Amino acid sequence: MKLSSHIENEINLRDIGKAQAEIAVSIRDVKFRYTKQSPYVLNIENLRIQKGEKVAVIGPSGAGKTTLMRLINGVIEHESGEVKILGETFDNGSTKSRDFRRRIGFIYQDFNLIGRASVFENVLWGRVAYINPLFSLVGWFSIRDKQAALSAIDEVNLIGHMNQRADTLSGGQMQRVAIARVLAQEPEIILADEPVSNLDPALTDDILNLLVEVSENHKVTLLMNLHQTDLAQRLAERIIGLRGGEIVYDSSQERLFNHVPKSLFDPEVPPLKMSKNRN
Amino acid sequence: MADFIGRMFPPNTAVAKTVLASTLETLQIAFAGTVISALVSFPLGLLGAENLSPSWVHQPVKWFLSMLRAIPVILLALMFVSTVGLGPFPGVLALAVHSTGMLGKFYAEAFENASSGPLEALESSGANWIQKVRFGVLTQVAPDLARDTLFRFELNLRESLVLGLVGAGGIGFYIQLYIRSFQYDKVATLTIVLLVIVVLVEQLSVAIRKRLR
Repeated sequence: MKLSSHIENEINLRDIGKAQAEIAVSIRDVKFRYTKQSPYVLNIENLRIQKGEKVAVIGPSGAGKTTLMRLINGVIEHESGEVKILGETFDNGSTKSRDFRRRIGFIYQDFNLIGRASVFENVLWGRVAYINPLFSLVGWFSIRDKQAALSAIDEVNLIGHMNQRADTLSGGQMQRVAIARVLAQEPEIILADEPVSNLDPALTDDILNLLVEVSENHKVTLLMNLHQTDLAQRLAERIIGLRGGEIVYDSSQERLFNHVPKSLFDPEVPPLKMSKNRN
Repeated sequence: MADFIGRMFPPNTAVAKTVLASTLETLQIAFAGTVISALVSFPLGLLGAENLSPSWVHQPVKWFLSMLRAIPVILLALMFVSTVGLGPFPGVLALAVHSTGMLGKFYAEAFENASSGPLEALESSGANWIQKVRFGVLTQVAPDLARDTLFRFELNLRESLVLGLVGAGGIGFYIQLYIRSFQYDKVATLTIVLLVIVVLVEQLSVAIRKRLR
């Protein structure tokens, strides 16, 4: 082999490796249903999300948005196909290590805070993957963990409420705590499942802007489930439309980012099928 | 009945020293029985909780706890008196075993009532089983556990009086002794002290439980 072609091959291999390393989420031919008798709630032929992308997943209720998030988070196990998250491939039934789970932060619609615990404790406990489980019995965390928690609380502007019980906070503050908890976790992907559904419109912008800001500051891949198309268009770089568990719209494949098909939310209109040869 | 009550008055205060000593012993029996029971019930509660243990573990644990509850405390006391002898020790054992049946069930139910959302969030952050229990479950249900334990202490205090009747120590032993020897004025002193203690403990328990939330 000539030296030039050898170098060319090497460069190509490096490029391929680099491209693969930069994929945060890769889902191929994945089907999922909750029981063997029930219909599939997720049927995804191909979905790839690059590292650092800000993606909004939109679709009507029951479209499979939350199921998609739970699949990426490793809470549910797919029936067939391949799921590759942050370079790790998961087959059906494979368990996710503590460290892997730590790399994906999840923000919930209902905040999922521990009401009796303080803001600081809730955020600090986002660092559980960093400590020895035996130390957790006595609630021991390192200075580094405490500093990370404090820094995350500061980032969401809740330092003044640090010692307040979580169940005494307002909805917007609770979601800020949830964001801080995820930041303390130092994740590579943040999944936000309808993070503003339980908040009034005045707080919606506030929380979503914060979410986008922190994901940019920390160079984290962000996937958020949203109902509002206008918010998705304003805040995300890419919009994925789900209906009946299938991807029926992907702005990265369409010419017009602002043209989200109405069929996505209208049950009377049959969903558009996207071509299979996309990436 | 009137004659019986009439012979109780005036209460004989000469037995005050004995009464106080036996009351203290009764309190000690109830306290020790509750503490031992709480320590044993905690792991059993974790194993018996549907959300923390697989069904092949939590079902047998629940059956075991039901079995413990089904045995009357007096029967347990008689059994322990015949195996370890008279005194407060068999009383403590009887209360501990009987209370475990109830506290284990109460603890398991408290663990099951812990909201699943925060547990999922912890698991998603990388928490293992121990960490989920420590940070997620215990933080949520700590007031319930304390309330259940205090309530059981109140019950144990009352039940420890009965234990004395079968020789398992405490104030009950003196009650039956004085009744059998027709010294009703001394029984009156015991009854008054008993009432005061039970009411005080109950009020204290209510006050503590109110503060827990």
